[in-house]
Amino acid sequence: MPRELLADYPQDTEHYDEMFAAPIEPRAHWKPMLERLAAEPPERNRERLQSVQRQMRENGVTYNVYADPQGATRPWELDLLPLILPQQEWSGIEVAIAQRATLLNKILVDVYGEQRLLKEGLLPSALVHGHAGFLRPCHGARAPGDVMLHLYAADLSRSADGQWWVLGDRTQAPSGAGYALENRIVISRAFPELFRDMKVQHLASFFATLRDSLAHWAPQGGPGAPGALLSVLLTPGPHNETYFEHAYLARYLGLPLVEGTDLTVREGCVWLKTLSGLKRVHAMLRRLDDDFCDPLELRGDSALGIPGLVDAMRRGNVLVANALGSNLLESSTLFGFLPNLSTKLLGEALRMPSVATWWCGEPAALEDAVAKLERLIIKPASPQLRVEPMFGEDLDERGRKRVVAMLRARPNDYVAHEIVQLSQAPVWDKAHPRRMLSRAIGLRVYACATPNGYVVMPGGLTRVASADARVISMQRGGSSKDTWVLAAGQVNTFSLLRRAIGPQELVRAGTNLSSRVVENLYWFGRYHERCDATARLLRLALARLVDDSPGDDPGAQPVIVGLLRHAEILEPGKHDPDDAELVSELRAAISDESRTGLASQVRELGRVASHLRERLSLDNWRALNRMSRAIGRSRPRTETLSDVLVKLDADIAAFTTLSGFVLDGMTRDPGWRFLSVGRRIERMRSLCANLKYALAGPRDTDLSWLLRLADSIITYRARYSARPEWLPVLDLLVCDDANPRSVAFQVYGLHDYARRLSNMFGDIGEEKLDASLAALRALDPGADLNHGSERLGDFLDECSGAGYRLGEQLGHRFFSHVRESSRQTFAT
Amino acid sequence: MRLHVVHETHYSYSSPVVLSQQLLHLTPRALDWQTCDAYRLSVEPEPGEFGEGRDFFGNRIARLLIAAPHEKLLVRAESTVSVARREQQALALPHAAWEEVRDRVRAPGGDGAAGAALVEAAGFLYESPHIETWRDLASYAAQSFPRGRGALEAALELTRRIYADFKFDKTATSVSTPLREVMGRRRGVCQDFAHLMIGGLRSLGLPARYVSGYLLTEPPHGRPRLVGADASHAWVAVYCGEAAGWVDLDPTNNCVVDDEHVTLGWGRDFGDVTPMHGVILGGGEHELAVHVTVTPLES
Repeated sequence: MPRELLADYPQDTEHYDEMFAAPIEPRAHWKPMLERLAAEPPERNRERLQSVQRQMRENGVTYNVYADPQGATRPWELDLLPLILPQQEWSGIEVAIAQRATLLNKILVDVYGEQRLLKEGLLPSALVHGHAGFLRPCHGARAPGDVMLHLYAADLSRSADGQWWVLGDRTQAPSGAGYALENRIVISRAFPELFRDMKVQHLASFFATLRDSLAHWAPQGGPGAPGALLSVLLTPGPHNETYFEHAYLARYLGLPLVEGTDLTVREGCVWLKTLSGLKRVHAMLRRLDDDFCDPLELRGDSALGIPGLVDAMRRGNVLVANALGSNLLESSTLFGFLPNLSTKLLGEALRMPSVATWWCGEPAALEDAVAKLERLIIKPASPQLRVEPMFGEDLDERGRKRVVAMLRARPNDYVAHEIVQLSQAPVWDKAHPRRMLSRAIGLRVYACATPNGYVVMPGGLTRVASADARVISMQRGGSSKDTWVLAAGQVNTFSLLRRAIGPQELVRAGTNLSSRVVENLYWFGRYHERCDATARLLRLALARLVDDSPGDDPGAQPVIVGLLRHAEILEPGKHDPDDAELVSELRAAISDESRTGLASQVRELGRVASHLRERLSLDNWRALNRMSRAIGRSRPRTETLSDVLVKLDADIAAFTTLSGFVLDGMTRDPGWRFLSVGRRIERMRSLCANLKYALAGPRDTDLSWLLRLADSIITYRARYSARPEWLPVLDLLVCDDANPRSVAFQVYGLHDYARRLSNMFGDIGEEKLDASLAALRALDPGADLNHGSERLGDFLDECSGAGYRLGEQLGHRFFSHVRESSRQTFAT
Repeated sequence: MRLHVVHETHYSYSSPVVLSQQLLHLTPRALDWQTCDAYRLSVEPEPGEFGEGRDFFGNRIARLLIAAPHEKLLVRAESTVSVARREQQALALPHAAWEEVRDRVRAPGGDGAAGAALVEAAGFLYESPHIETWRDLASYAAQSFPRGRGALEAALELTRRIYADFKFDKTATSVSTPLREVMGRRRGVCQDFAHLMIGGLRSLGLPARYVSGYLLTEPPHGRPRLVGADASHAWVAVYCGEAAGWVDLDPTNNCVVDDEHVTLGWGRDFGDVTPMHGVILGGGEHELAVHVTVTPLES
């Protein structure tokens, strides 16, 4: 046994140890892992750790922390070592979880249907009618196949004797399955041979089952194109704590990721607003809380929901998974009633116990809980009662009296738990490359309804408590682990990607593109180009202030200051800044998010991109992530100007890389065209501004700066060995339709995209570009391409105006109905 | 008494509404003491979709959807209703002590219709979105509930006290004024008084529900004109045990509900039976006018 590895690992504790059966006696299913770690040089694990951390960072695996005042996303924490469970032990968990899911589903179906359990006194009325999660409008909505709980999760922990206990049920929209999947992908890559040799069970078939189950119970027939079954994943949006997971699962399951405002209810059916009109939605895997789902019948103040959804569900026109109202079971007040309910409803004993619980609404339980308060945790009876858990052992005499009075005043609202014992498992010490520590862990497991009963995911999300924590909470800074369930026989290597698709299932590009996604793609194009233009302008202005830059013509300086004002980087109207002022303003525009400049534009780009997560490839994301990290990094005042310039170079290179992805990596569907229209409109805008300012400046000036701003200096030098002059420069930047940074290129491109989009969706106003096209063709190089040409000035005005009008037109035509900020709820 | 009810709701918006979805609780419920002889709902502009049904509490509802842009919305509900007298009967019913009622609904259930009625009553025991209960409210209500007093007798006294202690004031509160504020200011409208009384009853462990409806605008000769007659009205029903069942009390007028009250429906609080609840897209600023007229008909 490698002593060094275990130097800090406690061998003798009162907790169950997942790895050791007795001091320095590893359990059989851990031996291959321990032997591997001991046999390898320490650098190997340092590399593994770095690789894991890099993947988490670059894949943008994040978790939003509500408590964070900045609303910042935090990287998802993943430990290098998986939790390993042998097949035999897992079978016990699997059967128990499937049983519990079956039982909870039956309870839910009864409560929202016949209510036999209430009438027979098997379930106290307070736990239903007194629970804020009981949604009366959902009563009587018959669920297809009597399944209301499609995806279920349970939080488990293990006591010292090795027994697993249920700590909590997740019944409305269980989170974490996507993180479990991401954890698996990263950790299986860190230990590829072990993963294969230890016969770890794969997770993919579980997700395929989930998708197939949705399709199985989705309604058929009715309005909408026949045969085309559309399932979506409903998210509250990028501010949700687990938004990463929503986007990840949507991509993995191949479901469009939609927000409430993407959907509308007509004729009692749910429809997705797409570019080509409304598309019927048959099934919805939701991550939005129950009561937020329908402002018409549930919470009127919900801006996230879909008015009329409850009615659509009640009429059987859409499958909502999990059914609305399932939050009711997310309450440990039920625990005490489950053994009896299991006998009554299933005719068998409950296989896995729940942690000992006293619901204070029962007088005897209340007295019991008061008597042993110091050994209990007090929690709210339903998640809607926003009360922090309280530990009895923390209370002094006064605190105790206060808590007892509180329990007696509103007994129905509280539940007392025994303090749960957690098992311990090894985690890799990030500070020391060759050392294991022990941490308390809990396991979240998942079950999915199928026509043949519940199927349990062979694995799960292992959550790791921080060093001194008594509760495990990702919100409070816990970490996570992959969970390896070993197979007894052959591993089922089915992967979601291998499902054969028949010709009738072929999907034409962009048919299910929601209007919101399209709007975001358009703005992504605009911000991307705007960032690029701003970075180039800042670099130009800064480089002129650095001694070793090529001696630019000082005559161009007022023009550049004018452009900086036009871009709102400098305040308008003030006196011309001296060099020191200019440097300080430029630095601020680069790093200060609170003012107009590069930092705020990159933030906007990131915001728009975050709404497009499931549409961007992983590679695209990595590029974006790397860039916003680099730009977000603070640039201290002590940094020299040359350093700042080097970083600006890197930023511009990053924007160019992103362009490469857009050109090479995205399907030419209507979404891509909207993105490209956004880019062209923005580029035309900055190009016209640059040219207008240059033309308004002095005639006799070195035009290198203008070429540099338009990234065309190489082309110019290759064509003309002479110093830049008006005619060839203007020809290159205005008329040369082969130069991607010329006005002509933007005009022709926009006209082409607008024509194609008009062909698909009806007139979108391509004629707005006709005047620009005509003016472009009418330009006479000899007469018009010179400093002081009125016609050229008019042409530039016409072009930037046409770009603006086209943008407006697209907004009215495609995006305006998406903006639901104007949604209001009234009650009279 | 036969009554003719007209309830008009006019919205005018400063900019077009492009989508309007409304859920209406504007249809009188058929009850042992009330029949709805004629009913007509008219909406302008004409809704693209319209449907009727019942809600969780058995109230009649209507849903409508208007997808054509509009700057005005008019909903007019007109009905002819026959209401039987019921005050004397309610007062004559055998009554249980309030603690007996409390203990019986704490563990509801049992066979047949009686068991089902108890389970249903127990559904009105708890706090609801617009009605919280707290200590001051509980002790205010408890003064009317000394040990052993009959449930109805005690509830009648609470009705009387709320009528005496609170001032009817249309300007004091809005739909969203929290109950604690009503309690502090001692003024409000029928909806506030009903919520307050329901909260008091529930905090003692007695089921109480919110009833939405109308009052006769001009009373028959010799009877006083009641408060709240020119708008929709609200009162309270309290559960007085298996024999007496639900009894309707009106704290705004300090009376047992008789044949001048038309019942639309009931729920846990205002939110369950809002006459008109809707979600609109667009609209900007809006102006609202509501007119209610209830006139007696020759029977």
